[in-house]
Amino acid sequence: MQQLTGHDDDEINRILSSEEEILPSSGFAVSVMDAVRREAAAPPPIAFPWKRALPGLVVAGFVLALVFVTVVVAIAQGIRASMTAQFSMSLPSVLTPSFGLHRNLESAASWTVMALLATLVSVKLSMRLASGRL
Amino acid sequence: MQPCVTASCHTIEAESSVSAHDDQTDVERVLSGEIAAFEGIVRRWQGPLVNLAYRFCHDRGRAEEMAQEAFLRAYRALGQWRKDAVFSTWLFALATNLYRSELRRIPAQAVSLEDIAEPWDARASDGSLDDKNRDLAVRRAVCNLPAKYREALTLFYFHDMDVSTAARSLGLPEGTVKARLSRGREILRSKLPQLLALPHLKEA
Repeated sequence: MQQLTGHDDDEINRILSSEEEILPSSGFAVSVMDAVRREAAAPPPIAFPWKRALPGLVVAGFVLALVFVTVVVAIAQGIRASMTAQFSMSLPSVLTPSFGLHRNLESAASWTVMALLATLVSVKLSMRLASGRL
Repeated sequence: MQPCVTASCHTIEAESSVSAHDDQTDVERVLSGEIAAFEGIVRRWQGPLVNLAYRFCHDRGRAEEMAQEAFLRAYRALGQWRKDAVFSTWLFALATNLYRSELRRIPAQAVSLEDIAEPWDARASDGSLDDKNRDLAVRRAVCNLPAKYREALTLFYFHDMDVSTAARSLGLPEGTVKARLSRGREILRSKLPQLLALPHLKEA
């Protein structure tokens, strides 16, 4: 391979510096100004309806936070339950879970009702938003 | 700053110094609602913007389309120009950004290096190409470089070998641009050795 790096650079500089120049076509400026005038005449873009969306966003945020807390609590309870089970191996296995099962069913039912209510509220709200009655 | 070596450099520098005040006046008029004042900006900068686009895509029609889009974006974003930088610097950075993303979306027609290295002039059958063909081949080889090196080289030579202006247009630190220029040239040298085997060197 050649060892002409300095001269090579000079050559590359010379070649790439002397690139041909083009002139914009005669109607270019007019065409740009037409596009600019069209742009200026166009109605401004519709802004996002924050006022209307805010209640829905707040509710959605609250529900998400609630779901997150529920999941974390459920996981923590599961871990605690498994740890307790390891220590209570000597207790009769039929008696211990009966209380827990009852409480779990109650809790699941209340969460289901809450989830259904949240769904109902969000559906109603979105329908009212869509029909523009809010 | 390195000295200017081409006519385009003198044109751009002269336009920059003379038009800085005009640019500012026109921008203020446009922002106050006088849309027609934008025509002054278009007429002053149409040449450089179309030529910059042409260096990116090597297609006159596409270059004008890209330059028109650059002017439109400049019009939309005129209020965002902070007067701490010269208007032309802001305009070139905006246009460069647009051209780069356009070329990534639809690349310019690529030419393989093998095609370039092949001598197509019958007079050059001894292995060396004549000057014109060699120049063309080097330019085409630049088109085939990876985007980051190609963009650095394009901007560097468009701004007449001024690294700081090229860096500002690309929105990159000067050191990064210097490194990319060096690597880009290195690739060119390694892939096109026969193109740089100049007749007068052989004679010497």
